[in-house]
Amino acid sequence: MPSYKLSYFNLRGFAEVSRLIFAAAGEKYEDVRYERDQWPAHKDEMPLGQMPVLEVDGVKLPQSAAIARFLAKQFHLAGKDNFEQAQVDAVVDTIYDLLKAFIPSRREQDEAKKEELTKKFFGEELPKHLQNLETLGKLYGNGGHFFVGNQLTWADLLFQNFAETFVGMNADCLNNFPWLQKNRAEVEKQPRIAEYLKNRPKTEI
Amino acid sequence: MPSYKLTYFNGRGRAEVSRLIFAVAGEKFEDVRYEMDQWPAHKAEMPLGQIPVLEVDGVKLPQSAAIARFLAKQFHLAGKDNFEQAKVDAVVDTIDDSFKGFVPTRFEKDEAKKEELTKKYFGEELPKHLQNLETLGKLYGNGGHFFVGKQLTWADLLFYTFAQAWIGVEADCLNNFPWLQQNRAEVEKQPKIAEYLKNRPNTPF
Repeated sequence: MPSYKLSYFNLRGFAEVSRLIFAAAGEKYEDVRYERDQWPAHKDEMPLGQMPVLEVDGVKLPQSAAIARFLAKQFHLAGKDNFEQAQVDAVVDTIYDLLKAFIPSRREQDEAKKEELTKKFFGEELPKHLQNLETLGKLYGNGGHFFVGNQLTWADLLFQNFAETFVGMNADCLNNFPWLQKNRAEVEKQPRIAEYLKNRPKTEI
Repeated sequence: MPSYKLTYFNGRGRAEVSRLIFAVAGEKFEDVRYEMDQWPAHKAEMPLGQIPVLEVDGVKLPQSAAIARFLAKQFHLAGKDNFEQAKVDAVVDTIDDSFKGFVPTRFEKDEAKKEELTKKYFGEELPKHLQNLETLGKLYGNGGHFFVGKQLTWADLLFYTFAQAWIGVEADCLNNFPWLQQNRAEVEKQPKIAEYLKNRPNTPF
């Protein structure tokens, strides 16, 4: 049994999908969280000066998606064969495309411009990407509520995390997407995930 | 043996890594290429209205990285176990991070602004990412010339094709990165790749 150490900020962000994978799998790991002022002292320990980083028996792995996919494959949450894993990867990439569209509105310093970008994101861009996600869920989901193959995979966990952030900012943003709402509800009622969501540290993002 | 059909523009772009994978593996596929004016008629056939798309025994898969990873795993070019595959994925994500800033410099219409963005990208942004890639190659490459585990993987093929785009604009961009130059030279001299490079269509992108 390898030893796992996950290092990130004290946030959900790009590491939470991996925490959800550990929780769904019932697997132990060291959950290292740095506050913003602690991070500079540790930056040089990380291969690319960034987090999250997963340390597996002492070898460091950067890049949040590579980390999550590795853990999902370790714990059978990645898809049951190569083609299913590819379908899961396609859903994951589509979720990351959605995040890419979101980030500029978060980084904008000018308040008026930030508000305008946020409005554009929730009004125009988010619905387009959510429509794409519903398309893939109906294409690969075999009629079930999970994105791929009638089973929970890390694609469902990744969507749950960022859906929570978006709904926290704009409560109605999933109203026109009943398939995605049902998907999120299915994930959140899995016993190990329900338990984890109840007990984890509460952070805004 | 599944049947494979890869659909993209008549260019290298985000599909070329998959064409390189087929070439290295010596595997057959239907290489569908649309000119820009042909594409609108086919857009609605694609799950997300985008290309590349890989069709495997009639089932469509979007997202260029998901496609390439699937093919690499089919043909044993993805890394020899789960953790090696994770290292390959981390290198791939870092290559993708490197390429993100390049695309806006190509599409900028204002000539003066385009020159400024290009200068900033090649002068400041790209070198940081190239440094990160050399770091990972030295961390995971076991002292060899390939990014991971002393074997050719799709990470080497992806770097090869994206670097070609950079070199096309700025011929000296790898001059300070001998490890990366050596990596590309190793890829180019693989017999099946050398043959493929000699015979493939010559396109502007």
